[in-house]
Amino acid sequence: MAEKSNALKKLFSYLIYKDKKQVKEFYIPEADEIRKQQDNCKVTRKDTTPPQEQKSKGIKKPVPISGVKQDKNADTQKADDKTISTDITENMKYIKAKFNASVNKDIVLREFMIAEKYKAFIAYIDGMIDKNVVNNYILRPLLNGEKFKGKDEECQLDFILQSVLETNQLKKITKHSDVVFDMLSGNTLLYVNGCNYYISNETKGFPARGVEKPVIEGVIAGAQEAFNESLKTNITLVRKIIKNHNLTTEYIKLGERNQNLCAIMYINGMTNPAIVDEVKRRLKGIDIDINMGDGMIEQLIEDNTFSIVPTILSTERPDRTAAHIVEGRVAIFSDGVPFAKVVPVTLSALIHSPEDAYMRFPYGTLLRWIRLLGMFFATLLPGLYIAITNFHQEMIPTELLIAIAKAKENVPFPTILEVVLMEVSFELIREAGIRIPGIVGNTLGIIGALILGQAAVQANIVSPVLIIVVAITGLGNFAVPNFELALGIRLLRFGFIIFGVLLGFYGIVALVMLLGIYLVSQKSFGVPLLATIAPRTTRSNDLLIRYPIWKQERRPDLLNTLDRSRQPEISRKWTQENPNYSHDRVGEDD
Amino acid sequence: MIKEGKIGTIEAISISTIFLITKAFYINPGTVIKLMSTAGWYATEISVLGSMLLFLILYLLMKRFPGNDLVGIFDIAAGKFLGKLFSLIFSGFFVYYSGVNIREFVEMIKAYILPYTPPSAIIILFMGIVIAYAYAGLEGIARMGYLSFIVILVGLVIILVLPFPFYDIDNLFPMGGYGIKASLQYGALRSSAYSEVAFLAFIINSLQGTKNFRKAGLISLAFAGIIIGTIILCSLLAFEYPQGSENLSALFQLSRIVYFSRFFQRVETVFIFIWVMASVITVSITFYLAVSIFCKSFKIPKYRPFLLPFAFCTFLVTLLPENISEIVEKHTNFLRSYSMFIVYFIPILVLIIAIIRGKKGVKEKDEEA
Repeated sequence: MAEKSNALKKLFSYLIYKDKKQVKEFYIPEADEIRKQQDNCKVTRKDTTPPQEQKSKGIKKPVPISGVKQDKNADTQKADDKTISTDITENMKYIKAKFNASVNKDIVLREFMIAEKYKAFIAYIDGMIDKNVVNNYILRPLLNGEKFKGKDEECQLDFILQSVLETNQLKKITKHSDVVFDMLSGNTLLYVNGCNYYISNETKGFPARGVEKPVIEGVIAGAQEAFNESLKTNITLVRKIIKNHNLTTEYIKLGERNQNLCAIMYINGMTNPAIVDEVKRRLKGIDIDINMGDGMIEQLIEDNTFSIVPTILSTERPDRTAAHIVEGRVAIFSDGVPFAKVVPVTLSALIHSPEDAYMRFPYGTLLRWIRLLGMFFATLLPGLYIAITNFHQEMIPTELLIAIAKAKENVPFPTILEVVLMEVSFELIREAGIRIPGIVGNTLGIIGALILGQAAVQANIVSPVLIIVVAITGLGNFAVPNFELALGIRLLRFGFIIFGVLLGFYGIVALVMLLGIYLVSQKSFGVPLLATIAPRTTRSNDLLIRYPIWKQERRPDLLNTLDRSRQPEISRKWTQENPNYSHDRVGEDD
Repeated sequence: MIKEGKIGTIEAISISTIFLITKAFYINPGTVIKLMSTAGWYATEISVLGSMLLFLILYLLMKRFPGNDLVGIFDIAAGKFLGKLFSLIFSGFFVYYSGVNIREFVEMIKAYILPYTPPSAIIILFMGIVIAYAYAGLEGIARMGYLSFIVILVGLVIILVLPFPFYDIDNLFPMGGYGIKASLQYGALRSSAYSEVAFLAFIINSLQGTKNFRKAGLISLAFAGIIIGTIILCSLLAFEYPQGSENLSALFQLSRIVYFSRFFQRVETVFIFIWVMASVITVSITFYLAVSIFCKSFKIPKYRPFLLPFAFCTFLVTLLPENISEIVEKHTNFLRSYSMFIVYFIPILVLIIAIIRGKKGVKEKDEEA
């Protein structure tokens, strides 16, 4: 019977209207709403919460160290953003409040008595520090009373600073803003009761990648080191190369929320101080929420935001950075990014590769010219192909024209559609190739291009000549040593395709001229982008032809370095001297 | 005043030479051959010498008023009203020059490479480039001029050397052409064809001194004389004078006849490349000068707002001639044969007025140093 009624209920349930179950949905309240709520909470809490003493009535709690022997009558200064109190409780309270320690469990505050005499605490952020350093070289010496024997009561932090702590970098900090920043950077702060300053211990110990091979600036000859995400490591890598007492590093904090540390490096007394000042001025003049590294810095400090070609050189190679610093440029590093930015640069610096300098000069020059040829192909080839096949067939030698026409005979599309189709698919393969995981990525990119090309030709969608054109264009693009410049060239290529299809050769030359006037008007930190050629400066021995190393006697003229000379006129002094073990062939008796 | 920046002597020589030789891409060599037949290639040097002479007189005027450009000198020497009038004549002249040059360019591009493209599309793109160049200013034009000059020289060498199998030395004889009288007469008259060099007087403050002005002017005139002389010579060698005088563009024809094998023939691409380059630089200079002279004469500190109105005027000028023969018969003929009456004789007139009125510029200390 019960079964029957259940079945009946179910049957009815299909027929009868039922109210939908009310589910409350989540929404993000407006900031004002939240503030109002918080204000209300504060008011009600004030009204309802009983005094602390009442609550703890009759319960005995262990007294914290900071509460031991507290002089209740002492008139202690309150700790706030500006002042560091001389009272340990106040300072702990400040740090706890600053870091929301009640909910923020990463903050560690460890109270202890130094040599059973002085109240103290250390503060750090869990995970950012090296625990070994904190345990063995900060806590152990401090807790061990041996060193404090025979010292009078007054001696406190100074003595600890000089003789007790065993960490390599220590500094006094007198501002709360620095205390906060040092803790956030992975340092351990020590405070001893009665002082109005902290001691910051260098204990950074967060995980970082090792120094690995360059990924996008690989070379055959030369060093195989690349920067990593650690700012200190990157600076050290450059310092390792330039062992010069004038090599200077200055730090600037950037980003209001994340306070990312940036460093600028230059050789004091050689780099034109105006460049250094300008770099600092621009960096300090940035007011931004979050700084995610030098890619963002570049966009914030470059001369022209809309420039198609980059006006700041980005490199992941310490040797390249060092070479530029020694030429009189300034390098900008940013914490957390394995790249350095170099300013000011010219276009020629963007098309040079570190390899040029490592190879003997005929090889270096050859490589440079091949790269230039690659740039020419990457920029102009598809545009020229369209212009010539659409407008100026008479310019193609007859046999080649016949070959092109034959290949295109079965293709139903106009040339421009073919080119756009192939260019777009090539760009797709390239972009997808980056995201295809792991080892498959590279092979799949190449195979994808081959198969796609082959299939497109067999399906009579594109002509085989065009596949060759697109392939050479792609190869030329990869020959460009600077990734950002290569991206700029990719953009320009589409411009040339459009002008080529609209106005033929005239359109191409017109765009070349427009590009020309645009480039000669661009500047990188006061240096014209095409300097050495337009405007003309003193001849450079490292422009299109890389002269032998011993012929490069002067630093780039356009940087106005304080020391112009790179090396003396005769840098191979041994050529002027006789070998130690020499004999005169003329007077020799046979 | 407009901030024009500084340009180096080599950059000045480059733009001045391009300005002078651009006409050789057009009908000019043909006209010279028509007027002086086989004597054209050396008689054109008479024009260069004539122009050099007039340029030196202009130099005397500039030396008299150091630290001033021609617009300033007009004001000082001839008074504010007459001075402004002279400046405006020059401004108008350069607008006219730009317009005629663009039209000549368009007619030729239509005849040779883009027969089906509407001329307005060609003109608008060209005007766009010219405005961009003028917007970038003199420094930008000069820098680009220097870069283009190198490319143009290389291109010219290619076009003039490659047709050598077609060169016949007999085509140069009789050397005398239509006789000494005709050569001298047209040679002197066509000094106008080299009168453009006077534009340097308007940008003399960017050249850093009157000595650089003289140097840049004379060297560019010599360069232009050699280049145009060689082009006429090659044209005569390849085509004889009756056919040579009929070529719309001697250089284009020369680039077309190149033939080494079935694969290596016809280098029009090179021609188009350097031709467009030279035309862009030339028209940019004239257009920029038109705007800057106007602004300088009325002491307007910013020239950029005037670019579009002047571009519109220039566009109107390009529409004046009805067809290519009108351009050749009337306009370019006027520019190449009679423009010196404006370009050189107004400054000379001003020099005479200055001498009569005893006006003289103050020597700047920097200049003396």
